[in-house]
Amino acid sequence: MAFLLRWWGRYAGGLVLVALVLTSAWTLRETNGAAIRELYRLLSLPFQGAVDDQQALIQARTWQLEQQLAAVQAENQRLRQMLNAPILPNLNGRIVAVIGRSSDQWWRSLLLGEGSRQGLTIGSVVVGNGGLVGRITSITPNTSRVMLLTDPASRVGVVVGRTRQMGILRGQLNQQVIVEFLEKDPKVQPKDVLYTSALSSLYPAGIPIGEVQSVELSDPTRPHATVILGAPIDRLEWVTVIPYAEPTDTFTPN
Amino acid sequence: MLNRQTRLHRTSLNWLITIGSVGLCALLSFIHLPNLHLLVPDWFLIWVVVWSVKRSWGQGVLAGIALGWIQDGLVSAHPSHAVSLALVGGLTALMQKQRFVSEDFISVALITFAMAILQQTVIAIQMSLGSGFPLEEIWQHHRQVALSSAIMSSLWAPLVYAPLNRWWTWLREQE
Repeated sequence: MAFLLRWWGRYAGGLVLVALVLTSAWTLRETNGAAIRELYRLLSLPFQGAVDDQQALIQARTWQLEQQLAAVQAENQRLRQMLNAPILPNLNGRIVAVIGRSSDQWWRSLLLGEGSRQGLTIGSVVVGNGGLVGRITSITPNTSRVMLLTDPASRVGVVVGRTRQMGILRGQLNQQVIVEFLEKDPKVQPKDVLYTSALSSLYPAGIPIGEVQSVELSDPTRPHATVILGAPIDRLEWVTVIPYAEPTDTFTPN
Repeated sequence: MLNRQTRLHRTSLNWLITIGSVGLCALLSFIHLPNLHLLVPDWFLIWVVVWSVKRSWGQGVLAGIALGWIQDGLVSAHPSHAVSLALVGGLTALMQKQRFVSEDFISVALITFAMAILQQTVIAIQMSLGSGFPLEEIWQHHRQVALSSAIMSSLWAPLVYAPLNRWWTWLREQE
């Protein structure tokens, strides 16, 4: 007993410190580094560029295009209703600044400067100029983390615009993105445009993703094509976040 | 009485500097230059090496686990970074114990270089065992990443080492 007491007296301080350090590290791990992310956003606030003159011109042009698009969309919707075709999702979202990137060479994610306080939620779809970017996988009050399409864990159901061929888009370790097809002879060719498919539960259907760069059919067990993403993932500064909830009823009988 | 008070001050200042430097490394890890996705140093690795250089292997392993968990939270916990960083911490400490290399900037840079390659190799092994990616893809990526991470980390390591080493040496002399 005396030995135990002496041992405790000698090492108690150290043990408590070790426990403290490990507990705080574990807390950071379990909260996805929430405290660090929030602090980073706070510190990077002064460095986020203001909107300059050219931006204003671009915004005016964008506004004009948006109006034209709205008119076309309305017309499209009327035509679709006449044809009884499914209606495309509404892609209005919130424009959010990209403030950081993942620190690891194996996984790829973005850090956005807004979070749950601004109304973003886990599962929201992130779109950049040019097409789909990814989806939000973790959130704190003022930041959110986006898993990119180039992340090796990312999987998206896609459809080829021209032929309606289904495939699965997945990120690879070497920054490239490929589509794997289910059929042996997918009728795709370079320049074909890919969209999210209606079978993908994580993304609304019909968002443009990118175009096929080259088709690789030599391996019959795994026919695939390399894809160039529409959005410049390496140079994103602003993205649009579209709230999206997984559809719970996948099948509604008539 | 006075002595005890200054010691308390010094200890708390030491904790502040240690935790502050970890926090700084975590913040730095978010910064990326456009189009240079491969050319980023691994700040967590650098910190673990700098910490472990003049410490016992137990302290090195402990720091590795703690920083590995933090990195897990910031990046992705599958596979965990704690395994590779704990190994890095332990090995760095053992290396110095035997005085194979002298303690200066160049040797710290060299150790960081070797440890970065070791760390990426451990992660690649973890990925091979449990991720389901094709082995060929993993090891091809490993070859690229290990080298770039090693070069960038060893270039930046002296910058983290210099101030922290100075502070810890001064602290040791006071005691």
